Amino acid sequence: MDWVRHLSAELDDPPEMVGGKAHGLVLLHRLGLPVPAGVVVTTEACRAFLRDGELPAGLVVELSATTLGQSVSVRSGAAVSMPGMMDTILDLRPTPDELAEAVRSVFASWDTPRARTYRTLHGIPHDLGTAVIVQRMVFGDRDDHSGSGVAFSRDPNTGENVPFGEVLFGHQGSDVVSGRSLTQSLSALADREPLVWRDLLDFLNRIEQHYRDACYVEFTYESGTLWLLQVRPGRFTGAAAIHLATALADSGEITREEALKRVSPHHLQHARTPRITSDADVIARGLGVCPGVAAGRVALTSDEAVRMAAEGPVVLVRPETSPDDICGLAAATGIVTARGGPASHAAVVARSMAKPAVVGVADLVVGTDSVAVPGHVVRAGEVVAIDGTSGVVVVGRPRVVTSGSDEDLRRLLGWADDVSGDRSARGEVERLRAAQAVLRER
Amino acid sequence: MVVLHALRCVGTSGLTRVASFTGLPESDVESELIDLAVAGLVTHHKGFGGWALTESGRAADAAATKAELESAGTRAALAEAFESFLVLNPELLELCTAWQIRSADGVVNDHTDTAYDARVLALFADLHARAVVVIAALAAAAPRFARYDARLSEALAHAQSGELDRLADTIDSFHAIWAELHEDLLATLGIARWTG
Repeated sequence: MDWVRHLSAELDDPPEMVGGKAHGLVLLHRLGLPVPAGVVVTTEACRAFLRDGELPAGLVVELSATTLGQSVSVRSGAAVSMPGMMDTILDLRPTPDELAEAVRSVFASWDTPRARTYRTLHGIPHDLGTAVIVQRMVFGDRDDHSGSGVAFSRDPNTGENVPFGEVLFGHQGSDVVSGRSLTQSLSALADREPLVWRDLLDFLNRIEQHYRDACYVEFTYESGTLWLLQVRPGRFTGAAAIHLATALADSGEITREEALKRVSPHHLQHARTPRITSDADVIARGLGVCPGVAAGRVALTSDEAVRMAAEGPVVLVRPETSPDDICGLAAATGIVTARGGPASHAAVVARSMAKPAVVGVADLVVGTDSVAVPGHVVRAGEVVAIDGTSGVVVVGRPRVVTSGSDEDLRRLLGWADDVSGDRSARGEVERLRAAQAVLRER
Repeated sequence: MVVLHALRCVGTSGLTRVASFTGLPESDVESELIDLAVAGLVTHHKGFGGWALTESGRAADAAATKAELESAGTRAALAEAFESFLVLNPELLELCTAWQIRSADGVVNDHTDTAYDARVLALFADLHARAVVVIAALAAAAPRFARYDARLSEALAHAQSGELDRLADTIDSFHAIWAELHEDLLATLGIARWTG
């Protein structure tokens, strides 16, 4: 075949040809893990499309010859990750016409102005093109024993060796990622689907052993059977990266030298940001978009925030923010919104004011005199604290730490001094950099 | 009408922001606000020292913008241009985020890497060129939208001449003006930002 490859353990084209997502699916095949049957249309076909303005001859015939079932998903997958930038088509009937149209739409989405901007920002060449993955649909909304989710093998906020993620019972994976529906903490799967949970833990473990690193997967389970749809290394940052690297070195998965290579000076900088300790009484989680800890009395409108701020720190809690909230945002010491992502209005304004902020707390309902999250009601005026790194919201004033004094960091920097041989008093970044310079020479 | 609508789009604010929104001198804005206060449409916000719409002011503004579109017969054209705005909106927000946070490791952009800043600034200019086309379409449906072209262009020009905080960090930044444009479109078309 010229343009289409079967996804299997034998596929050995590089990511430049089949894209990063397909490359990950091939890895899952090699590990013997369950992946819905599928094919990948190469990036070369995309480049031909972008050059000629039409699908290359023979592509549709090749695609139509594959038998993937009554319904397929059609997803982009470039060599370099471009999350949320390109088209995905779910639950498509695999007729020649519909397949051609779907592949065309994904290819065309490579060249939208927004995708071009993203690539320029991230230094990704514009001529790479994207691959397209066509797979048998698995339905997270099939029945009571179906669902979708995302999972990290370890907690990306702390690096602790505890699976972390979100699950949505009875829904498709697209609903998890979009934030349109209310997800539950991944651990809810353990009670509701113990067999799926057991398989998931086993799969995460096997992927970790292969990467010798934390991993991230997207999954769907259909009528009690678990399928993996995407995999990549965890890419932890800050204190979590330091904890992970030292833990992997302690358990012998990687050497101390490798641990030093995996922690960047940026991670040290990050790790000094104040954090809420993990024993705090967490009532809700969202996405931390401006790091730091803020504690204060809850205000539910911007007017209230301005008024209450005269008497002490305020945490402004809103469904989402608009220009009308600028005064409230300015008066508050921390910000929480139910909606929005890392590029939402609230996130951009919070960062411009350097205020800790948590957005996208999907199960938060802002009422007239209280806010409700599952299991808790917090009245206006009650004290809450938020962590703009991990995205947690807690009641009261929790303990706050900076991991500058953290045991993991102390040990890692000790290893760094062992490598560099320099034990003079220097800053943390200098100690790490000196070791990394020596390791690069080896 | 223009001062009342400014408060609807920028929220509770002082004279400077309303003047910047409308392009009117502050003294004219103040005298108009006092008239509106007498009519019960705005009120002076004691806590913040700014001006805010009253409930009847909000209703009066909604009625006025509705009448504006109906007499011009351009609701459909505006709604169509709004769709084009929504295509640009996520890209602008991503650019603001990239300006504030370096994608590698999510580190705050401390603006020491001038090559990175220049790259993001060039992308703002590129988006601005496309935004100008959309704003022209908005202004064809409702002329007052042309004011956003002038304001965004001014913010970008200041940023390009070295005032880096005019992209996403000040109350008159490109981002702040963009957010006001978004709010203006929602208000004018009568679309709720959120429900409940």
